[in-house]
Amino acid sequence: MKIAVLSGKGGTGKTTVATNMAFNFKGAVLVDADVEEPNSHIFIKPEMTGEKSVYKNFPVVDMDRCNLCGDCGRFCKYNAILPAKNKVLVFKEICHDCGGCEIVCKRNAISYEKREIGKIHSGIGLGGISFIYGDLNVGEISGVKIISELREMVSDNKVVIIDSPPGTSCASVEAVEGVDYAVVVSEPTPFGVSDMKMVVEMLENMNIPFGVVVNKAGLGNDEIYDYCLGKNIEILENIPFSEEIAKLYAVGEMMCLENSKYSLYFENIIGKIKNAFK
Amino acid sequence: MIIGICAKKHGLESDVADRFGRAEYYVLFNTETKETRTIENTAKNSASGAGGRAVRLLDENGVGVALAPELGPKAMDAIKAFEIRAYSYGESKTVKEALENYEAGILKEFKTNSTESHHGLRRV
Repeated sequence: MKIAVLSGKGGTGKTTVATNMAFNFKGAVLVDADVEEPNSHIFIKPEMTGEKSVYKNFPVVDMDRCNLCGDCGRFCKYNAILPAKNKVLVFKEICHDCGGCEIVCKRNAISYEKREIGKIHSGIGLGGISFIYGDLNVGEISGVKIISELREMVSDNKVVIIDSPPGTSCASVEAVEGVDYAVVVSEPTPFGVSDMKMVVEMLENMNIPFGVVVNKAGLGNDEIYDYCLGKNIEILENIPFSEEIAKLYAVGEMMCLENSKYSLYFENIIGKIKNAFK
Repeated sequence: MIIGICAKKHGLESDVADRFGRAEYYVLFNTETKETRTIENTAKNSASGAGGRAVRLLDENGVGVALAPELGPKAMDAIKAFEIRAYSYGESKTVKEALENYEAGILKEFKTNSTESHHGLRRV
């Protein structure tokens, strides 16, 4: 079973929920797919055992074959390939590696070379959690390729918890693609609820069942509860807005390790998800 | 020869634009016929690489000299590859003023890009 933890707004508690859930879910694998800013490793303190590079292709043009017809440049939506007067410019950092320029080239002048855009690290964290995370190189525009490779690395017969990127962009869609369930972590503030609505819309479009964890409960207002009630969305848990939890987060400690009363939140969330699949 | 000037609106009286690749319009001035026409910048809403595509648009319209506020690194590569000469219109306020300053020979030619890459591509 694959479970994505996502939020819409950043900083609502995705990593807090994902790491604590993984720790309380026997045999779970934790995947940090927030490749622009991975931070699950800070909390589960893994011993890293493996590392591999992730590559992206970019086009290379054979000028002996190219007749500068311009088809590749007209095709590329991102303007990564630009036929000019007597050469073809390639801006490899904005190439999305879609393969389209090779297909539209009638002269077979285009081949591809690869370049590294980031890395995938693997290891074993606290409590023996199997852990992998992606890390996008600084300056790269898209981590989708890394997230897709992370997804390929996890086996289908394990419980996999995916700490997803914030927002509803391509990276978030990639992280939740094919999951069985999504945990939406939101905070009861106007920003939190507004961004959560976009995530809800995305998950509904993708036909992924989900429930909501209200983190920092007690802040803001009741809009989140009215919204969930109105749409018949299950509230999995309320995690209170608490100075102690914030302090633990600030020093990189998982709350469930510090105090077993906190484990109850996550056991409850896991229990409700298991129920949903009975 | 055709001179292309980045513009906010149509015609010689328009203000010059603040950006090159995402300028609203290009005013094209033919130095032989003294005719002016304005084209819409179809590159301006590109997801990325607007500068390069804008240079191609100018080339397709026969532009040999471009007057611009700034040029990013990809636009600069494209300017060279399309063999267009590009000059900074500096303090010029309108298209007409930019043209007069160009003809007076007081505009500086871009030899290297004048701005760094943006759109999250800046290296740190």
